[in-house]
Amino acid sequence: HAMRRQRMEVNVELRKAKKDEQILKRRNISFSSMGESFSPEQEKKNAVSTLSLEEIVQAVNGNNPELHLKATQTARRMLSRQRNPPLNQIIEAGIIPKLVEFLSRNDNVTLQFEAAWALTNIASGTSDQTRAVVEAGAVPAFVALLSSPHMHISEQSVWALGNIAGDGPMYRDSLIHNNVIPPLLALVSTSSLVFQVGFLRNITWTLSNLCRNKNPYPPLEAVRQILPVLIRLLKHEDKDILSDTCWAVSYLTDGSNDRIHVVVETGILPRLVELMASPELSVVTPALRAIGNVVTGTDEQTQMAIDAGVLTVLPQLLQHPKPTIQKEAAWTLSNIAAGPCHQIQQLITCGLLLPLVELLDKGEFKAQKEAVWAVANFTTGGTVQQVVELVQYGVLKPLLNLLSARDGKTILVILDTISNLFLAAEKLEETEKLCFLVEELGGLEKIEALQTHDNTMVYRAALGLIERYFANEVCVLFQLLSSGSMGRAVITCDR
Amino acid sequence: MELSDANLQTLTEYLKKTLDPDPSIRRPAEKFLESVEGNQNYPLLLLTLLEKSQDNVIKVCASVTFKNYIKRNWRIIEDEPNKICEIDRIAIKGNIVHLMLSSPEQIQKQLSDAISIIGREDFPQKWPDLLTEMVNRFQSGDFHVINGVLRTAHSLFKRYRHEFKSNELWTEIKLVLDAFAQPLTNLFKATIELCSTHANDASALKVLFSSLIQIAKLFYSLNFQDLPEFFEDNMETWMTNFHSLLTLDNKLLQTDDEEEAGLLELLKSQICDNAALYAQKYDEEFQPYLPRFVTAIWNLLVTTGQEVKYDLLVSNAIQFLASVCERPHYKHLFEDQNTLTSICEKVIVPNMEFRAADEEAFEDNSEEYIRRDLEGSDIDTRRRAACDLVRGLCKFFEGPVTGIFSGYVNSMLQEYAKNPSVNWKHKDAAIYLVTSLASKAQTQKHGITQANEFVNLTEFFVNHIQPDLKSANVNEFPVLKADGIKYIMIFRNQVPKEQLLVSIPLLISHLQAESIVVHTYAAHALERLFTMRGTNNATLVTAAEMAPFVEVLLTNLFKALTFPGSSENEYIMKAIMRSFSLLQEAIIPYIPSLIAQLTQKLLAVSKNPSKPHFNHYMFESICLSIRITCKANPAAVGSFEEALFMVFTEILQNDVQEFIPYVFQVMSLLLEMHKNDIPSSYMALFPHLLQPVLWERTGNIPPLVRLLQAYLEKGANTIASAAADKIPGLLGVFQKLIASKANDHQGFYLLNSIIEHMPPESVDQYRKQIFILLFQRLQNSKTTKFIKSFLVFINLYCVKYGALALQEIFDSIQPKMFGMVLEKIIIPEIQKVSGQVEKKICAVGITKILTECPPMMDTEYTKLWTPLLQALIGLFELPEDDTIPDEEHFIDIEDTPGYQTAFSQLAFAGKKEHDPVGQMVNNPKIHLAQSLHKLSTACPGRVTSMLSTSLNAEALQYLQGYLQAASVTLL
Repeated sequence: HAMRRQRMEVNVELRKAKKDEQILKRRNISFSSMGESFSPEQEKKNAVSTLSLEEIVQAVNGNNPELHLKATQTARRMLSRQRNPPLNQIIEAGIIPKLVEFLSRNDNVTLQFEAAWALTNIASGTSDQTRAVVEAGAVPAFVALLSSPHMHISEQSVWALGNIAGDGPMYRDSLIHNNVIPPLLALVSTSSLVFQVGFLRNITWTLSNLCRNKNPYPPLEAVRQILPVLIRLLKHEDKDILSDTCWAVSYLTDGSNDRIHVVVETGILPRLVELMASPELSVVTPALRAIGNVVTGTDEQTQMAIDAGVLTVLPQLLQHPKPTIQKEAAWTLSNIAAGPCHQIQQLITCGLLLPLVELLDKGEFKAQKEAVWAVANFTTGGTVQQVVELVQYGVLKPLLNLLSARDGKTILVILDTISNLFLAAEKLEETEKLCFLVEELGGLEKIEALQTHDNTMVYRAALGLIERYFANEVCVLFQLLSSGSMGRAVITCDR
Repeated sequence: MELSDANLQTLTEYLKKTLDPDPSIRRPAEKFLESVEGNQNYPLLLLTLLEKSQDNVIKVCASVTFKNYIKRNWRIIEDEPNKICEIDRIAIKGNIVHLMLSSPEQIQKQLSDAISIIGREDFPQKWPDLLTEMVNRFQSGDFHVINGVLRTAHSLFKRYRHEFKSNELWTEIKLVLDAFAQPLTNLFKATIELCSTHANDASALKVLFSSLIQIAKLFYSLNFQDLPEFFEDNMETWMTNFHSLLTLDNKLLQTDDEEEAGLLELLKSQICDNAALYAQKYDEEFQPYLPRFVTAIWNLLVTTGQEVKYDLLVSNAIQFLASVCERPHYKHLFEDQNTLTSICEKVIVPNMEFRAADEEAFEDNSEEYIRRDLEGSDIDTRRRAACDLVRGLCKFFEGPVTGIFSGYVNSMLQEYAKNPSVNWKHKDAAIYLVTSLASKAQTQKHGITQANEFVNLTEFFVNHIQPDLKSANVNEFPVLKADGIKYIMIFRNQVPKEQLLVSIPLLISHLQAESIVVHTYAAHALERLFTMRGTNNATLVTAAEMAPFVEVLLTNLFKALTFPGSSENEYIMKAIMRSFSLLQEAIIPYIPSLIAQLTQKLLAVSKNPSKPHFNHYMFESICLSIRITCKANPAAVGSFEEALFMVFTEILQNDVQEFIPYVFQVMSLLLEMHKNDIPSSYMALFPHLLQPVLWERTGNIPPLVRLLQAYLEKGANTIASAAADKIPGLLGVFQKLIASKANDHQGFYLLNSIIEHMPPESVDQYRKQIFILLFQRLQNSKTTKFIKSFLVFINLYCVKYGALALQEIFDSIQPKMFGMVLEKIIIPEIQKVSGQVEKKICAVGITKILTECPPMMDTEYTKLWTPLLQALIGLFELPEDDTIPDEEHFIDIEDTPGYQTAFSQLAFAGKKEHDPVGQMVNNPKIHLAQSLHKLSTACPGRVTSMLSTSLNAEALQYLQGYLQAASVTLL
């Protein structure tokens, strides 16, 4: 049957990075003194600091603990400015090793916290900036702080580690090797946290970064450790926690079938499908992505998604007001349609044809393109009866209209689809009827025009269709008639 | 080859000689240049010449030679030597951009072409500096240079418009965007500014606008695959400027030329394309800009004149509106009644008018006019674009739009009525408007298939179309006559039959109109009416209803062929064919005259066949005459032969390639009409048909095989007795055909006819050889098609010569071969056989093997008996196995030398289905049951025990069904 298409066909992107992607790194910004509710009382007293960068450097390198704190706090404030935080200046000033050292100052909780915050914000920068933090040895120190008895410190450490993990697969794995997972998971289990939504959000986000990125994927062992916790987090009500958990699952499923296997065998799918119907766009997006990834897998994995009810949710997503959701839903559908005909049958039974045809007709172009693939796969793997049903839903008109799309690949897929439709029509001996419909709907004219398309594959496909089904009574290519009959040839002549 | 003055001098001499009109000087010079082009420095010598030669002719000649050299040699083909040495390649790439930009235009063009050829191979990896070099030139301020760069960039980037997305392609585009997008944007802004500073300087403006056109084209290419981040961020700059350029006008840029589009038109046209690209692909991001573009484009349309030079712009602009107005979320831009009225009044109606250029085409270039008006090759015309816009608007506003246009139609008709001879164009526009408004869907075969319910088509027909056609003068207002006839043609399914019947005599009399368009349309309309189907799939118009008009119809049709310009008019010839087919025996009284006119025509056009459709219908008409006449009077075949053979002989003698396949088909038809024996005239031709040269042409093979089959059917005995020496030639044809994957089935047709009809003793000595040839082919290249034909053949052989003979001939080639054929071919492949008759032959053949072949019962072949029976039941009961191995899918296209050669099959020369076992066996299932019964009586117990031990249950159940139906029991 038809081929399932992975998410990434090309590794290069021309477009702007997707606005609906999850954020890789985050800075802890202080909007006002009011916002700094994490910080201890005393901070409010010396709200305004007057230290210069030079003075900071001197202070952190000196022996005065008071000044250590003051300097670190000043640096942290500078790094928390909303606009133009001086990340590079701080790095170039060479105080990071000192800040890392302060992380171990269990005797001075405030200093520990300020240093952690400052380092979090440096790590939120570019790869080079994150590297400065990691290379100063911050990772083991932060991992140790996860188990700090002071909640605000362990929370800030979670955040910092999240930024480091978000940098890419290398640091992610180095965190995992530094045993970040057990204390992180222990934090989730701490029942007192049930009431600390903000903290739990941070943990979830960091976990999602530990699941993120390919080349290489996170080690399977780590994935196995994290998954049960993700399943627990999915039971939460908070939309940010749900969103980041779904993102985590979407990263874990964005890969080969054995990666998908590890996820689906946990029984997570029904909840994910439920979340696809969430009213929150931030939840729907990653849940849909995760399920979309699952159905790129084997027939069995796809069947598990179907059994989890994905087909009952897809119709509404195909009609979602956001074009990106429509597109993602159509992509998901296209991969289900690439399955064996009993899965195609379920797709019909669940009423997907109507919204599919609607999308093909009225959707945004990027969604239409995926809908075209869905139709193509459907006609490749579907039985004649199923294909007939698709045609009865009116797929032809929008499909033929899209032959004027400015996209060679889409046109080629449509031409292949038309060819599939003709194969079905031939089996039913209704070729002529299909010819009629294609012409009546203006398709013939478009196919004729495509015979001069600049792309060789497109014009060949168009020419092939014309020769095979629309050559008029005169010039019938003989080769095409050599069906092996006893010296007769069938000719399409309206005698 | 050194870069020396001496070599430059020599090269100059030879280049000069390549321009010599005398081939004896030119050819050796060309040969010489080709022989030295492999030397190092050769391309550099050419570049030196095109830059420094004193002689301008030599400069140009060197540049052309250089480009052709690059075209032939630059690409490095795997496993072939590199034809240009690396040092030369580097030197060329280092110099060419600079050279191109500093050369005069004639040479610049050649070098620009060369750059794109090199770029296609080397850019970007092997030519990393190209982009920077080009971008640096943007700074030059010299627009002559800049235009050269832009043209080159366009030729490098335009492939982004049609190539499929791939990592490689997108990496390249990304690279180009990074280096090129910002400089291009800066250049765009700078150029626009310069346009306003130079607003009064015509020659500067021309150069600047050429740049803008190139920039707009580059925008299209760079934005085609996806919306690049850069252009999304800079959409404001680009779209605002595009928008203002759309609204710009400058007297200095207007051209006097009425036909050729000027710079302003070309630029605006490209901007419409760019806007359409964004509207179609990047709707979400483009939405804020779209309404502005709709307004601008609509204003543009309102203010653009009727001249031909604006056609492309206008049709692009209308198509943009048409594509936008169909989208649900832009519906609101159009729904206001004033907007609608204004679009109808100012955009649609003016573009539907019949212009001077149309009138010219109607009179002087009727073929082109017909192609556009009738066959839909009008995609880029204004009328067509306007028509599409009407359809687009009708999607949401059918009622209001129809209302607005009804008013227009009425006023235009009133204008016409006031003074028809002056205002006839108003009526033309009215008819066109009604047509485009009413037709929602259309096919060639059926005309309009879905019509606008708000338009009363019959009323308009009776009140406004028929009166024109009823006027006694068929030559008056030819355009309106053509319009009226076309109206009948396309609305034939909407207008009631009684109205159509009233129209038929009117159409017949318009066959006599002098205007080519009018009599062509009349012929075409008649032809279309005659193909219409009524109830029970019978023709809507019956022969009886046509009875009063037979003579005048036939007379006028043939008379129409005598009009100047219509002597090979395919529409008329097709109408002749269709009339014959409809009228059937009613034409018999006229046959002598008809066939005389047809043969005369045939003789005339065979001098120089140029209209394939016309010729085809002419042969179809000849076939119809033969069929219709001989059906009533078989003896008449002789008179046809008498009338036709002379012309046929001439065609064969003069080797008129286009007609020979037709001639063979007509001859087959004639020969098959003969009752028993084959006339001697045919036998005289027989040896000629076996000439290898005839079989070289792919188009000849099917009709020739068909003709030989007719010879065998009617004259096998005559061949065996009087032309036995030709049998090896006949088998030679078979051997040639069987060797080809494309034609092997034709070889089998011939072989099957030989087996079926030739007296056995006449082919005895060749039989073994035939089988050996088939085995050789089977070993060398086994294809599904070959296997299918092979299976039919061996079973036919078995039916004809007996199962024992089949077993013996196989085993005589090699011991135990029969068993191998059963096991490896028949049993596993029989399910693939297709065709009713073919399956029947196989069924009867296999039944014989099962029941009339003693070795199947008492040798080691016995173990194959049940599997063979099972396979036979499978053939009866299971669906056909139509799978084709992957590697065979493209056989027909790629392995066939004559793929391009079309074989023109005549529908009315069609052969009737032939069933060689028809008389012997009626129902093959019953036949199997009876044969098994007979076998079981001969050896009681054997059959039943074989069945019960190894036939699977399902098959056994089917078999019991056959036995019951035949009312026999196995013993």
